[in-house]
Amino acid sequence: MSVKWLFIRKGISAISGLILLVFAGVSFYKSRHLKEPVVLSPGVSQVKKLSEYFTGIKGTINDSNVYILEGEKPGGTILLIGGTHPEEPAARLTTWIFTENAVVEQGKLIVINSANRSASTVTRLGGAYPPDFTIPTSWGGQKFRMGDRWSNPLDQWPDPEVYIHYPSRQELAYVDIRNLNRTFPGRPNGTLTEKTCYALTQLIRKEKVDIVIDLHEAELQYPVISTIVAHQNGLDLAALASMIISGTEGFNIGVEYSPPALHGLSHREIGDHTDAISLLLEAPEPFLDATRGRTDRALLLEGKDEFVVKAGRHGLLFEKMDENGWPIDVRIGRHCSTILQIIELWSEEKPDKTVKVREVPRYTDVIEKGTGYFLRNPAKADPKKIYYE
Amino acid sequence: MSIFASTQIILAVMVVTYIITKALKVSTELSMFAAAIAGALAGGAGIPARHIVEGAFTYLDIILIFITATLFMNILKESGGVAYVIRGILRKFHRNKVVLFVLITFLLLIPGALTGAGSVTVLITGSMIAVVLGYMGISKPKTAAIIFILAGLSAAAPPVSLWAMITAAGVNMPYVGFFLPLLIPCLLLSLLTIFILGWSKKPVNLKKALEELPEASPKMNWLRVFLPFLVFLLLVLAGRIWPHSFPVIGLPLMFMAAASVSLLLSPVRLNFLKISRETVHQLLPLIGTLTCVGILVQIMTLTGVRGLIAITIVTLPLIVVLLTLFLVLPVSEAVLMWGAAPVLGVPLVLLFNTIGLNPIIALAGMSVIWPLGDALPPTAIIGRLTHTAVEMREPYSRLLKYCLIPGAIIMIVGTLMVVFSKKLAFLTLL
Amino acid sequence: MIITILYYLLTGYIAFLIIWNLLKSKKWQEEILYIIILLPFLLRLFRLK
Repeated sequence: MSVKWLFIRKGISAISGLILLVFAGVSFYKSRHLKEPVVLSPGVSQVKKLSEYFTGIKGTINDSNVYILEGEKPGGTILLIGGTHPEEPAARLTTWIFTENAVVEQGKLIVINSANRSASTVTRLGGAYPPDFTIPTSWGGQKFRMGDRWSNPLDQWPDPEVYIHYPSRQELAYVDIRNLNRTFPGRPNGTLTEKTCYALTQLIRKEKVDIVIDLHEAELQYPVISTIVAHQNGLDLAALASMIISGTEGFNIGVEYSPPALHGLSHREIGDHTDAISLLLEAPEPFLDATRGRTDRALLLEGKDEFVVKAGRHGLLFEKMDENGWPIDVRIGRHCSTILQIIELWSEEKPDKTVKVREVPRYTDVIEKGTGYFLRNPAKADPKKIYYE
Repeated sequence: MSIFASTQIILAVMVVTYIITKALKVSTELSMFAAAIAGALAGGAGIPARHIVEGAFTYLDIILIFITATLFMNILKESGGVAYVIRGILRKFHRNKVVLFVLITFLLLIPGALTGAGSVTVLITGSMIAVVLGYMGISKPKTAAIIFILAGLSAAAPPVSLWAMITAAGVNMPYVGFFLPLLIPCLLLSLLTIFILGWSKKPVNLKKALEELPEASPKMNWLRVFLPFLVFLLLVLAGRIWPHSFPVIGLPLMFMAAASVSLLLSPVRLNFLKISRETVHQLLPLIGTLTCVGILVQIMTLTGVRGLIAITIVTLPLIVVLLTLFLVLPVSEAVLMWGAAPVLGVPLVLLFNTIGLNPIIALAGMSVIWPLGDALPPTAIIGRLTHTAVEMREPYSRLLKYCLIPGAIIMIVGTLMVVFSKKLAFLTLL
Repeated sequence: MIITILYYLLTGYIAFLIIWNLLKSKKWQEEILYIIILLPFLLRLFRLK
């Protein structure tokens, strides 16, 4: 073969590779740097940084915004954590509804939209996730990043060959060293994910948080679904909330006891290492099921999938699944109502620790009006009131 | 057209493309890449650059382990360390085969058990042991089969069994209670394999072996050989003993540290750059396979083909699921590698849990069967790695032939562990 | 931090080896494969993925 032909052939191959590299690189860059605006609700009194509770994460990607909504009257303190696993979008969007709408009359509500911001800048390898998705609104729509379960390796690399949890020394799969819900209570000299958990734990201690609610979604094949997972210190509250919600809100939600042997999870470690009651909410997300069909934005938003329906017919699911699927509005609505019920029951039980929240839609409101109705238009907002996630 | 039918068409397009490209003498790796592109086009996704490249990333960390571990072994080989060790082992143990076999079993089980990767076993001790077995009169294909099966069992053995860990994480089950259910079958099956395939009354021809084996440099000694291994072992152990005060180093850097020590202690001058280039070239088919499998799986997920395969398998009648585990698990491993754990492992363990089986023992049983798939196409990753490490000239199918008997025993043991998991629950010590 | 930097150096070194082998290769299938496996190494080096 002539040198010339060899040169041309290599050139063509290299250019093809370069085209792939450029297109993919631009897509990765755009999704990592997509700015998600939060138009502050009139109820937000302060926006802090997570590093104000632990300086060890200052300047890192996980130095997330902490939205604080305070009432005029003193009362209890509730912390909502969204974005622990950014591949569970209803969890993050629920926090948007709170930060853009909620008004607190009594007590304090603290909201974090992107607890593991690093994980919100990457999508799962082999998962074929779309890089982003748009929630339709009357003013067009708002685009959000689709994330992963694990912190971005660009922010935490390498992984060990086995992850040994602190302080229990339980052995877990190596990737879980980047899983925010396996690294609680965290440690100050650990990896980025462990430090982020430590910062969250410090926030809970310093703000004297009474209840922590960590928002999640789960595949329907996962037994812990449509439920409130409660540390033993919050079991009664969760059981009561489950009963009332199932009777009044139009949907059912169960209660699960946080297993004492399962370490690193927020519902276990926050309860064990701080004075707060720790609860974790799970909503159904067919997009995460291993048997799902085509992976696209429609599945992410509408939650409809015939393969998952078939799995349900064979008794493989722990939540019902039919042709109506699990639209994102339903999943967000469930979270909103569950949070409100927990807060209301807590306030009834502990009048001196009352937290009174208004302007947050309930399950039926979100389904009726759509999530987009509760998102505010950043183009028409006072720039001082806009923060970015 | 139903979504089932349209996804089946996409799957058919991928399979046909793979067959055609293979028929056109295109390599397995590029045929998988072509199948992925055809699948994306058939699925209406065009040529999705983001997904192709994201898929290519799937096994980047494993690729780094492969490259650094092989680089270390190649440096050791070039420095004469490998020849030195083999001469030593043969001189010391050539009279007592039983002791030698037990020693070899442990030498093969430890690297994979500690790291969770059978490839590490093949790369670290596999090639050395292969030469020893060769001088014991065991043919290359039989040697390769022994090393492949033991490497697979070493990966499944505790403390680190990635299939069990990933599946357990997927069903929110702590990775606790797996030690004995994994250790006992892995150890017994390893001993059984080496004695079935390797046992013969023929004595070791020490004279011939020592004549044929390359002479190591006279300056070579045990310290020069073992210090790099010691550095590697100390780094692994330090991470285990002081996980919260010792930094996370990761296997690739540990291998690089061992390689550097080996390079510094080599009695002969080595061309590091040349060895590095040859290592990458030697590993190209394996790295290429891993990268292209990642791309293929990503496109299968994108188009729904992965879901179609998963749903088809897990909705088979229970008895069929149990009776075909021995087939389904290795095949899923052959296509998805560790990706088989979240795709099939999770729904299967949930299914077993629902019908009252013990999920820990059942998952341990499955974890013993899974690695067998590493010898099967399209990836055959560990099988091919062994084929290369052993320097087998015979066709790959000969390796497979000798795996049949121990493979069948492993499949039976694994399946019985699943079926009788409830009765074996005492092994979990929970 | 130092360890992460060492990983980037290792990635860079392997990318360099792949490019070198790609330039020396005379087989078209090998060339394409080298280009495919090079992609993740380069994107990691450029801190894009």
